[in-house]
Amino acid sequence: MSQHIAETRNSCALHGALQLIDAIRGVVPVIHSNAGCGMQHFLGINRQGNNSGPYGSPPVSSSNISEKHVVFGGSSRLREQLKNTVKVVDGELYFIVTGCSTEMVGDDIPAMAKEGREQSFPVIYANTPGFRGDVHHGYQLALKALVEQLPGLEGEKRSKKERRVNVFGILPGQDPFWRGNLEELGRLLEGIGLEVNLLPGEELGVEAWRRVPEASLNIAVSAWGEPAAKLLDERYGTPSLFLEALPVGHAAGNLLRSLAELFRLDAEKSDRFIAAEDTRLRRRLAELSDLYFQAGLQQSFALVGESAAVAGIAEFLTGTLGLLPGLLAVTDPLPEDTSETLMQSLSGYQDEFGAQVVFSEDSARIADAIIESKAGIVLGSEFERPAAEELDAVFLPVSFPLGRKVVIERGYAGYRGASAFLEDLFSARLSGKT
Amino acid sequence: MSYLRSKSPRAREKRLDALSAWQGSADAVARELSGEEVVQRIRTFSQSSNDDLVMALRLLAGIAGSVVVVHAPRGCAAAGLNHRIEQGDGRWIVTNLDERDTIMGADRKLRMAVTDAVRRYRPEVVFVLSGPVAAINNDDVQSVALELEDELGVKVVPVFTTGFVSRNAVTGFDIAQHALMKHLGSLVHGHSEGNVVNLLSLGEHQADRMEAVRLLGLLGVEVNVLPDGASAENFRRAAGARLSISLDHDTTGYLAEILREEYGVPHLEVPRPVGEGAAGQWLISAGKALGREAEALRAHEEESRKAIDAFGSFSLKGLRIYLSLSPAKAAALSGFVEDHGGEVAGITVTYLDRLHRPYLDTLARRNPQLKVHVADGQPFEELNIVNRIGPDLYIGDSAHIAQVARLGYPVVSTERLPSLGYRGLALLAVRIGAALKNRTFFDALAFAGTPYREAWYRRSPHWHIKKEVK
Repeated sequence: MSQHIAETRNSCALHGALQLIDAIRGVVPVIHSNAGCGMQHFLGINRQGNNSGPYGSPPVSSSNISEKHVVFGGSSRLREQLKNTVKVVDGELYFIVTGCSTEMVGDDIPAMAKEGREQSFPVIYANTPGFRGDVHHGYQLALKALVEQLPGLEGEKRSKKERRVNVFGILPGQDPFWRGNLEELGRLLEGIGLEVNLLPGEELGVEAWRRVPEASLNIAVSAWGEPAAKLLDERYGTPSLFLEALPVGHAAGNLLRSLAELFRLDAEKSDRFIAAEDTRLRRRLAELSDLYFQAGLQQSFALVGESAAVAGIAEFLTGTLGLLPGLLAVTDPLPEDTSETLMQSLSGYQDEFGAQVVFSEDSARIADAIIESKAGIVLGSEFERPAAEELDAVFLPVSFPLGRKVVIERGYAGYRGASAFLEDLFSARLSGKT
Repeated sequence: MSYLRSKSPRAREKRLDALSAWQGSADAVARELSGEEVVQRIRTFSQSSNDDLVMALRLLAGIAGSVVVVHAPRGCAAAGLNHRIEQGDGRWIVTNLDERDTIMGADRKLRMAVTDAVRRYRPEVVFVLSGPVAAINNDDVQSVALELEDELGVKVVPVFTTGFVSRNAVTGFDIAQHALMKHLGSLVHGHSEGNVVNLLSLGEHQADRMEAVRLLGLLGVEVNVLPDGASAENFRRAAGARLSISLDHDTTGYLAEILREEYGVPHLEVPRPVGEGAAGQWLISAGKALGREAEALRAHEEESRKAIDAFGSFSLKGLRIYLSLSPAKAAALSGFVEDHGGEVAGITVTYLDRLHRPYLDTLARRNPQLKVHVADGQPFEELNIVNRIGPDLYIGDSAHIAQVARLGYPVVSTERLPSLGYRGLALLAVRIGAALKNRTFFDALAFAGTPYREAWYRRSPHWHIKKEVK
């Protein structure tokens, strides 16, 4: 049973589905719900990411049901809305997503989508009422709908490509650095000789999703990509690699080495590539060392964010930068078995450094844990700023909502991400305590 | 008749025949809203817009010493993040209803959330804001609130929003104001002596609120501001005030009405004090009503002089300007545009109701053929209209202004711009000057293109507005 939450950073399933859809060029969401659901998405997610969305507005199609539809059903309203959306809004694929009211009323969404397809509109759907889960769950529902329903709209069968890899599991917006993180992972994978299909695909748009069956391996970054990976295994027999942590810095090298082995790539070439990246990062670290010592950067830190980012950044901070973990707070509501596995991986921080590990999305509880940690450096979201101020600690926004930081193409994954992270961390230290 | 006996006020379209969809000339809409019966219009294609829940959440986030418990699944509280981060206040808890709750009801969950809110934050008042799930389920929020109020010794105020009860989001302001006065208002009715004036301010920029307080202070009165930043005490005091003055009748009209009808506090109906002319009218009317006319006139003279200096040679001569705002704000800016020699080329307003008749009559007298569009968050229509008009400048405050900008015309946002008082528009003048001087950013945006098909721009903008069949 779910519980109430104080100031959550994880919105509802509908909003999670919209996050993914908005990141695919040419896909138009058709919301079947109250007028305000899309506005809440814009105010609560787009604006908190300092991002005006693909069209510079709240969602461009919403059936805005009224009392009449709650009483008598809203299917006919959706039929009308879908037909007119295709006429008014330019798109390659129309994606019906639903809110709580229309699901409670029991509108038959699959039937409406089917009707649309019979009129040769390219339509898919996902039932995404907020009462069914959070923003991560919504991302998964939309991902599943794309994997399951898109091939039905396409004529041609896709054949596998030997070195092609799908990368997914990074939630647009919920990971504020999603674009930069994906791009860097893509750059590194290409660097050792793989072909990448980065999802959501952005500029490639729907075509990226059509290519999904072509992959020989799926890389699911974060636990949120796992169900889709399993689905792809069932449908296309594609094996998967799960990344619990975002690889930051040298951790990326380990990932590349194991992939090179898995794909039996030219070892000399990939080793050369990895060595060059490793060397570059080590040189940058050496250049920063004077500042590191002056600023007394070797302090304890409290890190708050999504599981993959927390695991990845904690590894870099502890394993490369020599900082001391005081608190690790994971804010995405992981399924129980996943959080147990993650807990095991994070237990080293507890045993060796006495770090506290917290799984919670309750901002008030997290703030208490930060204060208790007495950390000198706090990395988290805008929600964590007051606690950082109270501790007079250095504050670096790294998770949603970023508040006063704007990110468009920056990422913290990989080697370049490590450099960007170092820039941000050291700048935060220099620009005053908070 | 007691206003506050009912659980919630009626929707704006029922109470005041508010229109949420309309397109036509100023003349025609003025006639429509003066006629016997106003026929409601609906859209056969629509886009996301505000609703009562979003508006009520915005208002309640500004109440000092309060916590909002959003009784709904998580997403219904998403906008809370916006208000918390932008205003730095507005603590909230969401009951996080799940599938089981939609079948079994969730009174227990609500009880736990309210109890926890009180334990954690020690607020003076807890608002319970219902969303669509609780409304459809008919959760008995009222009983839970009453019980907990006794148990916890803290005011627990139910606010009955639904997300679908009205096509006019402004109804959410009415619902929240109703709840505030019903539960926090004074129990003593009747006029009391004193020197307090209610300044009704909702969602105004902090600088604007301060400017209005300063102006009223020049008249030697004590100012009681509500609901922006108000605590429970301000609502109690409101009943004993000499007078209420609004900054924006669209947002606080219902509050003014309750104060007048329930407590006998007269309401001074004056246009929004934007720019020298309107600010003067606002101040002098207040002075007259409070028996401080001499002070008001003296202050007006002084303030006017400073205002003229602030604007210098600013002129909008020869410019055709499109406005997209709430009705009161559009009226205020129309005056500003015309005072500086510009022409209002068309307006989009978020809604119109019977209370706007005087404004519409003025509009229709001045320019009967002026294009009036009524829409909250329907940029597809707005872009079509603006594209046909081809204005020299677009001024608005909506969440879709970045989409309008993709047409390539110069755009200025007033959303976070202070604008009230004598010199209030000086900042807007600076922004307008910049937008007209260098248009490269608008060109860059135009390259991104708008979301709509070419065919839509060839259709009449009111294609999807139909008369509602009951």
